[in-house]
Amino acid sequence: MTQLIDTSIYTAVTEAIQGEARRILSEGSVSAVVGYAAARRKGSAQPVVITQADDSGKLIFSAACVNNLAVYLTKAKKDIPKNGKIGIVVKGCDLKALVGLMGESQLKREELYLIGVPCAGVLASTILPDTALTSGTIASKCRECGERLPQGCDYTPTVTPPITPVLEKKYAAEIARLEAMTPAERWAYWKEQFKKCIKCYACRQVCPFCFCEQCLCDRNKPQMVETTPRPAGNFAWHIVRAMHLAGRCAGCAECERVCPMDIPLNLLNRKMAKELKELYNHEAGFEVREKGPLAMYDEKDDQSFIK
Amino acid sequence: MSRIGVFVCHCGENISRTVDVERVAAEVGKLPGVAFSTDYKYMCSDPGQGLLKKAIREERLSHVVVAACSPRMHEKTFRKAVESAGLNPFLCEMANIREHCSWVHEDRDEATVKAIEIVGMMVERVKKNRVLPTITVPVTKRSLVIGGGIAGIQAALDIADAGHEVVLVEREPSIGGHMAQLSETFPTLDCSQCIMTPKMVDVANHPRIKLYTYAEIEHVEGYIGNFQVTVRRKARSVIEEKCTGCGVCMEKCPVRKIPNTFDRDLGMRPAIYVPFPQAVPNTPVIDRENCTKFKTGKCGVCQKVCGPGAVDYEQEDRLIVEPVGAIVVATGFDLYSIEEKPKGSSIKGYGEFGHGRIPDVIDGMTFERLASASGPTGGKIMRPSDGREPKQIVFIQCVGSRAREKGISYCSKICCMYTAKHTMLYHHKVHDGQAYVFFMDARTPGKSYDEFWRRSIEEEEAVYIRGMVSRLYQKGDKIVVMGSDISVGVQVEIEADMVVLATAVQPRKGADTLAQKLGISYDKYHFYSEAHAKLRPVECATAGIYLAGACQGPKDIPDTVSQASAAAAKVMTLFARDQLEREPIVARVRETGCVGCFYCKKVCPYGAVEEKEIRDRQGNLVKVVAYVNPGVCGGCGTCQATCPSKSVELDGYTDEQIVAMIESL
Repeated sequence: MTQLIDTSIYTAVTEAIQGEARRILSEGSVSAVVGYAAARRKGSAQPVVITQADDSGKLIFSAACVNNLAVYLTKAKKDIPKNGKIGIVVKGCDLKALVGLMGESQLKREELYLIGVPCAGVLASTILPDTALTSGTIASKCRECGERLPQGCDYTPTVTPPITPVLEKKYAAEIARLEAMTPAERWAYWKEQFKKCIKCYACRQVCPFCFCEQCLCDRNKPQMVETTPRPAGNFAWHIVRAMHLAGRCAGCAECERVCPMDIPLNLLNRKMAKELKELYNHEAGFEVREKGPLAMYDEKDDQSFIK
Repeated sequence: MSRIGVFVCHCGENISRTVDVERVAAEVGKLPGVAFSTDYKYMCSDPGQGLLKKAIREERLSHVVVAACSPRMHEKTFRKAVESAGLNPFLCEMANIREHCSWVHEDRDEATVKAIEIVGMMVERVKKNRVLPTITVPVTKRSLVIGGGIAGIQAALDIADAGHEVVLVEREPSIGGHMAQLSETFPTLDCSQCIMTPKMVDVANHPRIKLYTYAEIEHVEGYIGNFQVTVRRKARSVIEEKCTGCGVCMEKCPVRKIPNTFDRDLGMRPAIYVPFPQAVPNTPVIDRENCTKFKTGKCGVCQKVCGPGAVDYEQEDRLIVEPVGAIVVATGFDLYSIEEKPKGSSIKGYGEFGHGRIPDVIDGMTFERLASASGPTGGKIMRPSDGREPKQIVFIQCVGSRAREKGISYCSKICCMYTAKHTMLYHHKVHDGQAYVFFMDARTPGKSYDEFWRRSIEEEEAVYIRGMVSRLYQKGDKIVVMGSDISVGVQVEIEADMVVLATAVQPRKGADTLAQKLGISYDKYHFYSEAHAKLRPVECATAGIYLAGACQGPKDIPDTVSQASAAAAKVMTLFARDQLEREPIVARVRETGCVGCFYCKKVCPYGAVEEKEIRDRQGNLVKVVAYVNPGVCGGCGTCQATCPSKSVELDGYTDEQIVAMIESL
């Protein structure tokens, strides 16, 4: 049965964001605010960078505000002014990416002004942006979200997120299904998935953690990963992506949302995150860490894999 | 185009026995870029190296591959030869066709094919080697010595006498180690204390020795010539600088009945104590586990009676960083605790000997304390159970040692000699007593050793029975020893008053943890491994770290002292130079690709990665990238493996080279 999800707070949230953006921009404490604005189609939203207090009225928050804006502070930062503090609108899931980027020397906390958003969930797809948010249209990541109210922001509207219905955890169920397979079955499953990949690298472009200026997959001396969309190269790319994100990906699932071929990409990342939680009790995105578990050696580390 | 020379070594027969070296030379000679290839019986010998130098000149070679043993064995040799012929030494690589091929294979054809492939890979790799200039780094002319037993003391004194500062770290409250516990020493029977304590005092008074007792190694960073060692000085609860060593605190301490481990638990000590009267330093330590003040918060007598006000209950552990250029490891041994079956170990206990159950079954070190004039009995041999003088005493050798089925297959080396000594000490103190020794065979190589052993039988009336003991049990106040005399083939049963077991020598507990901190290797028993069993017996494979004493393997005092002096000599050799030439195999950052995530900095074990700002011509900051300090980089390659954008590479091991090697297969 489809349940309707209460998004009534978004009106109040929108007003609060606009007010705060106007205040910080007119005071001059930030040089820009990265947020969401209404796009052309009814109900749709798109990322926007505003630098004038007068533009604050453009900012909105709705169930169509799916993007993880963290990516606009790293590799997509061409519209971001180079000087001064930057304000940014963050959902709980996006904040985890920002925290991770701080630990990797890509961002400095003191150079950011965080406007936290109490969130009831966003749409899985923006193909029909004017759709009501229901248990059927909500993004998979929101079904198992534990961070509806981002913590430690500079400003968070005093709006309590509504109690959302308990929804079935799709990722957890899918990981359990894959774990129950034999290695051969699992291999066959991923082979089938990766066969679809057209190497458009949308997953890479949208990922806040893929911030390398020159991706190793684009290097040709030596060529590390085959560039044409053939099975071997596809496998190599997706395994590199999963390994490079292990312990870093906080599960914003943007990779999966933008994939034109509907490959369940975030599943791999979430499986890696689960492994790290079990092995090292590590969860990405909650605190700025000097070192993740994969960059560290501890005598107490599990060594049972050495045979 | 490269003009590569390939030199294939027979290594006597080590390689040529399994690998057709002539075919290898002929096949690799056909590879593109190879201008010259040949084989020779001993490439490392003078004529072998001459051949190489001659070929470099006559064939105008641009690169060299020597197909022989492990680079750990002879890379330096051949690089030096290449350099003397006018080529940059880093244009020479070794293809290991011995350890990686001939030694591990039997089939000659397959081994030959593999050898050709190994050489082919190295040919591809050497093609992309760069000319590297030698890097020099300053040497910190201070040494760390870990362990204050006779080995550590000897090494520290030798290095300090040569004019260099030494930091000596000892885990216990006093230096002295096991030798301070001994009564008399073989083969001359001079009193251990009489020859040991003056050396201990020398250490304490030496202007160039900095002594940390009751301290442990916390952390080691750096590399040869430039180590940074963090020492944890455990809270002694007594301020060393204030304490005069008057001993009033120990006299007044109301807790008196704590077994003294120095006396193998036979004697008692107070909660504030020095392990033995001749301790260096003569500064007491509070045993916080047994002290009433720490247990209940009441008491505080020692603080009240201390004139100089040296007792400090609030004292905490202190961490001190010491820069040193060389490290001597001299952590010594423990005796195998035979009653326990160590958890998770393949070593089995000796429950059948009743050690720990029958009070008069003791080990050799306990006998030393009984026989020692400064021991708990004042040198009188008496039974721990009732204080009676034992009239019949049985010594059992090889308890734990040379017993493969029990998990230790090595010989503990010192037991034959100290058991012979024990029979003599016993005979000198108990004139009407009889000593029996059960032994497998007597191992007495060493100057005056066999004479000493014979003396114990011929002059000191010890009865040696060749055979092992199967069981010991208490019968009244006697211990029945059931064994066999295999020289005559009969069962023997002796009713003894006391039994002394010559238990196996093992490395110190925690030897493996220390090795991991130092980055040195150890064997399955946790004895530390030397770089070469015959030719580099005091050096570790890790440069700048040397071994002395029983931490490397069971050793008696003369061997330990010799090795300690040898280790000291190695340290002095290192310190004889102001600058150390370092291999220039270091990491370099490709700044265009670096995004400054600094994962390399986080994983670098040497602390070699720094942050570097890149600015445009107007001085605006473009980005911050990683920079590897070549003087500090240890060339381990961890950064290369970690870098997500592949923007840092180790010279000689670049991705391009490794891919070229793989593609040659």
